[in-house]
Amino acid sequence: MRKYKELQIMSLTLRHLFLLLLVLVWLAPIVWLVFNAFSEFPGLNIRKFFPDSYTLENFRVLLFDTSDTVARFPVWFANTLKIAIFSCIVASSFVLMVSYAMSRMRFHGRRSLMSIGVILGLFPGFLAMIAVYFILRTFGLTNNHWGLVLIYSGSSGLGYLIAKGFFDTISETLSESARIDGATEMQVFWFIIIPLSKPIIVYTVISAFLAPWMDFMFASIILNSGIATDWTVAIGLYRMLDRSFINTHFARFCAGGLLISIPISVLFVIMQKFYVEGITGGAVKG
Amino acid sequence: MTGTVARIEKKNPLGAITGFFKGVVTDFIEGDIFVKLSALVMGAGYFRRKQIIKGIIVTLFQAVIILFAGGFGRHYLSRIGTLGSVEYAPVFNFETMKNEINDYDHSFQILLFGVVSIIVLAVAFMFYLRNIRNVRALELRAKSGLHIHTFLDDVRSAKDERFHITLLTFPCLGIVLFTIVPLIIMITVAFTNYDQLHMPPASLFTWVGLENFKALFSNNIASSFGYAFGKVLSWTLIWAFAATFSNFFLGIMLASFINNAKTKLKRVWRTGFIVSIAVPQFVTLLIVRNFFARQGIANTLAADIGLTSFLQNIGLSPAHLDFIPFLTDPNWAKVMVILINIWIGIPFTMLIATGVLMNIPKELYESAKIDGASPFKQYIYITMPYMLFVTAPFMITQVVHNINNFNVIYLLTQDIYTTTDQALAAVNAKEIDLLVTWLHRLTQEQYDYKMASVIGIMVFVVCAVFTLIAFNLVIGRNKEDKFQL
Repeated sequence: MRKYKELQIMSLTLRHLFLLLLVLVWLAPIVWLVFNAFSEFPGLNIRKFFPDSYTLENFRVLLFDTSDTVARFPVWFANTLKIAIFSCIVASSFVLMVSYAMSRMRFHGRRSLMSIGVILGLFPGFLAMIAVYFILRTFGLTNNHWGLVLIYSGSSGLGYLIAKGFFDTISETLSESARIDGATEMQVFWFIIIPLSKPIIVYTVISAFLAPWMDFMFASIILNSGIATDWTVAIGLYRMLDRSFINTHFARFCAGGLLISIPISVLFVIMQKFYVEGITGGAVKG
Repeated sequence: MTGTVARIEKKNPLGAITGFFKGVVTDFIEGDIFVKLSALVMGAGYFRRKQIIKGIIVTLFQAVIILFAGGFGRHYLSRIGTLGSVEYAPVFNFETMKNEINDYDHSFQILLFGVVSIIVLAVAFMFYLRNIRNVRALELRAKSGLHIHTFLDDVRSAKDERFHITLLTFPCLGIVLFTIVPLIIMITVAFTNYDQLHMPPASLFTWVGLENFKALFSNNIASSFGYAFGKVLSWTLIWAFAATFSNFFLGIMLASFINNAKTKLKRVWRTGFIVSIAVPQFVTLLIVRNFFARQGIANTLAADIGLTSFLQNIGLSPAHLDFIPFLTDPNWAKVMVILINIWIGIPFTMLIATGVLMNIPKELYESAKIDGASPFKQYIYITMPYMLFVTAPFMITQVVHNINNFNVIYLLTQDIYTTTDQALAAVNAKEIDLLVTWLHRLTQEQYDYKMASVIGIMVFVVCAVFTLIAFNLVIGRNKEDKFQL
């Protein structure tokens, strides 16, 4: 009996040691990022995992020192914020509009529209991007933040599936009774469905807002002038690791990465919560 | 019941189209003089029924389209056959005594605005035919004494039974402008010779038929595209499946490992993994890339603990290097990007899998236990099939996503990885490239738009074939009742 107990404790310890090891592997690069952000050595420390000495200088230079022409973090942050806010407004309204129409209304051609959406999803997004670049250039919208807003929000209607899934779960009897009372479809949308859809609206808004912060590919194609004050955070941070800058800017890159991770992770946690609610909560309300 | 639904949905699209055209013709023949007049002035039928505002709008639309077709449309459509013939050249102007640029043709603008013109005119034509049917329907309503909608009624219906049109107009316009038109243009570029030697405005490009497709599948001294395409395609497929399935199985294992009753502090472990999602992907990827750089910390640590020399001794790391070529050797890099992708992807899969695992009916496990199934057997015969069933559509989209997974490959290997394979280098491909990163390099560095378009079409073909097969395999067999108790 005692032997059995010992064996059980052994297996429990092993199980948790294994998890600890895995979590360490998963956290190592993040920990490395955090410690390097406070490192006094500006370049890539190749000898040791942890820095020799610590400082807040990297954050000070990044946020307040305008003499650093490579790292214009406050400008990038403002640019990205502007792009994110505008594309978020357009993209979230597009997504909610399309998903409501596809979920709650029945009309001629609904299925064909949905199949077209599936087929378009099979083309690499980058292929369309090449032509979009030339189209925007024809209208003078490259190296322009509005061009980027158009790219992030223009086709956003295609990403309607998750919100549609949520609208599908809201009971039809609610809108039916409103219609019997004489409500138009628009009133049903505004006064019945939208107030019930807070989780999925929060999810849609946050994910639309986060896209410009995370995107590297589209931004690097549209904002290709090489003028640092035009860039978004993603391009700026990428350029800081250019071979010619990495030895002076690696610690600042880590500081910048850490700085934008904080708001993003807060939004991400909120989004996750609402995403789970959005997937499971709708059914309860019915 | 389901039979009728299926039959209705499988309506023949060709039949619907011919039906529409037949309807237009009969409406035109049977309609009164104002219906016939509508074929000339689109608003005529509406004026007759006192729908003045609608009549004016429709007629104005017609006028705009005619002006468009005569000016803009004619200018570009007349040149779309050749994509322009007047080459860009400086001309000496004797009046101003300066060099000026001649009135040259810009092939890409001709292609772009030509395609736009065709789409606009096609839509306008459909609208024109539709208009005849509408006017005829209006006539029939008037004849049977039904209420004719006023303009205010129309506005009201846009908020009610036609609310979907109000909702969908702008999003669809966005999709047409930013996805459909660009895709059509890029597909047409695949049939031209648009590349570095034929760059507007300095020079013209023109149609070449199927030349580019032939080049993609041929392998000779002039072109090693065939060789490179085969290599890149096979690595793309290996990558897509390896990346998807490794994340899937390992993520579920991790989720069920943490979910196990014996594991304490479940929340702490989960948070530990989720922290890595919170940092934006491009930051973590760039960090990891420097972690594994030639002179990176991983190499220092590996040398310190003797891993480098050990790997060299067993022949896994090249002996002439004093470091492990994590992201610079073809084989090492391929293994590393898959491993790093596991690192990135598992927290996501774990999140999703945790939700699904909690929904597996407990009765399934209890009855399995009574029948004497071991935990391993329960995993193989209950957990796995259940997860597969629930997440199959997600997996299919995930494979397509990974075929196009630009970020991981680009951010990990761009500027670091160089190929030693001359045949690949000749067409700007690398062993580590996916079709989409190759496409990116061809356009952004080499301006070889024609081959990039061909590759883009190939990506679509691969994704479409895979999706069709996978969905038929998964959905075709009806397994729905298997897990319902």
